[in-house]
Parts: sequence; structure tokens; C-alpha cells
Amino acid sequence: MRAIVVDDSRATRAILVRILAELGFECHQAAHGREALDLLAAQGVVELALVDWNMPVMDGLAFVRQVRADGALDGMKLVMVTTEGDTAHLVRALEAGADEYAMKPFTAAVIREKLQLLDLAQ
Amino acid sequence: MDAPVVELDRIASDIWTAMLGLTLEPYHDAPVFPPDQRVATGIVQITGDFEGAVTVQLAETKAREVAAIMFAMGPDEIGEEEVSDAVGELANMTGGNVKSTLCGVCQLSLPSVTSGRDYHVSVPGTAVRDRIGMTCGGELVVITMLLRQDA
Repeated sequence: MRAIVVDDSRATRAILVRILAELGFECHQAAHGREALDLLAAQGVVELALVDWNMPVMDGLAFVRQVRADGALDGMKLVMVTTEGDTAHLVRALEAGADEYAMKPFTAAVIREKLQLLDLAQ
Repeated sequence: MDAPVVELDRIASDIWTAMLGLTLEPYHDAPVFPPDQRVATGIVQITGDFEGAVTVQLAETKAREVAAIMFAMGPDEIGEEEVSDAVGELANMTGGNVKSTLCGVCQLSLPSVTSGRDYHVSVPGTAVRDRIGMTCGGELVVITMLLRQDA
């Protein structure tokens, strides 16, 4: 399976890529939503995107909305991984089309649990 | 609107344990770095119903160790860019979790990072609401919450 990790922090991307690699994912990385959309247009759809909320250029919420508006990206599971932990942000993300929501700080176990809920991990 | 009590020590410990596998211990002296020590500071600003900032400060040597863990690289392979990224993300996570405990609608800025010796960080119009010192492997980590003075 293929995934994309979208976060402006290289450090967090590195941690998430290691977690996903242990779960068997081949990972792409992008520093913001616009870069992720460009990468998906070039590389084709992936099964999973882990998406930060606060990023320059295009934030995570705008990215989720763009993905859900693009039929070519149907079927991609979207998990927000963010410091934005209040209920209002959670509701906005789910209404925009996110499938799951994980708070920073996270552990490998939490990410695995979220992917299990989406049938993307055992 | 009065700001609720924010448990900076719990927030910081949760972040360091989950993301780094490191333990923060309470520090009972004044949380001040020696003037000759190089210190990295990550800062995020909070705007909205509450306005202020959260800073995370640690010795550059500890920051390099943190970055090495996050990037899964050897300390000798870590450059300034990796250190800055790691400290910025610690500030982002700390500030985000502080923001989540504040009532009302607030926004979080992208993080900024600076480093050097014997400097003072201030955000005009704000005052220190809470500052804690903790240690990790014997090295000081300081978390500060600044809020606008009428909050």
C-alpha cells in the first residue's frame, strides 16, 4: 500500500514515515497541501494520507476539501494528525471529509489503531 | 474571559514521552539557563479569544539530541535545519495542546525558532502567565506561557 504524509515539520514526517513503513506502507512526503496535491497528480492516488492541519501555502483542511472534491482521488483515506484537539476542529475536519483524527503527540500504537479502524492495518 | 489553569508540566511530559521516549523530571530551582549556554527557543503565538504565546527552551546540545531521535539519525549527522525543525515542532505541539485547554476560539501560528546565548524572549503586550522548568537527562527544559495582560 502507498501513503502520503503531509506535514510542514520534517521531523514529524520522519516519525510518521517510520511508523507507516513498519506497517508496510510505501510513503511519499509533502510539506503542505499544495505540494501533496501536485505529488498525487504526478504519482497517482494512494490509499492513505496523514495530514497536519496548520501548514503554510495550503493547510490540511483545504487539502481534505480538495481531495474530496476530486473524483480522481476517490477512495483515499484521510487521517488528520494535528495539535488542533478541540471539538470544533474535529467536527470541521470530519465534515470536510476526513476519515479519522489523531492528536499530536501521538504514538505508533495510536496511529496503528486509527488505521485499523480504516482496515488499513492489522 | 479568565484563562483556565494549564498544566504545562503534564502537557510537556506527554509530548516528550510519546514523541521522543524521554522522561521529563520536575526541576525545583529557578528555571534559568547559564548565560554562557547556547539555548534554542521555539515559539508559537496564540490569537483569538486568548492572545499570547508558548515557548519551549532547551540547551542546543539537548535540542540536537531531540532532533536525532525524531529524525532517527546520529547526533553528528544533525544540522541546524534539523535542530530548528525539531524545536519548532516541540513548540507547535506544546502550544497546540495549551490552546486546546483554553476556552473560546483561538488560532495557532506556525512556529518560529531562534538560538543563541543570554537572550530574552518577549511578546509585546503579554506577560508570563506560567513558567516551568523540567529536566531531561539532567538538562533543563523551560516551558513558558505568555498571555495578554488583560486575559
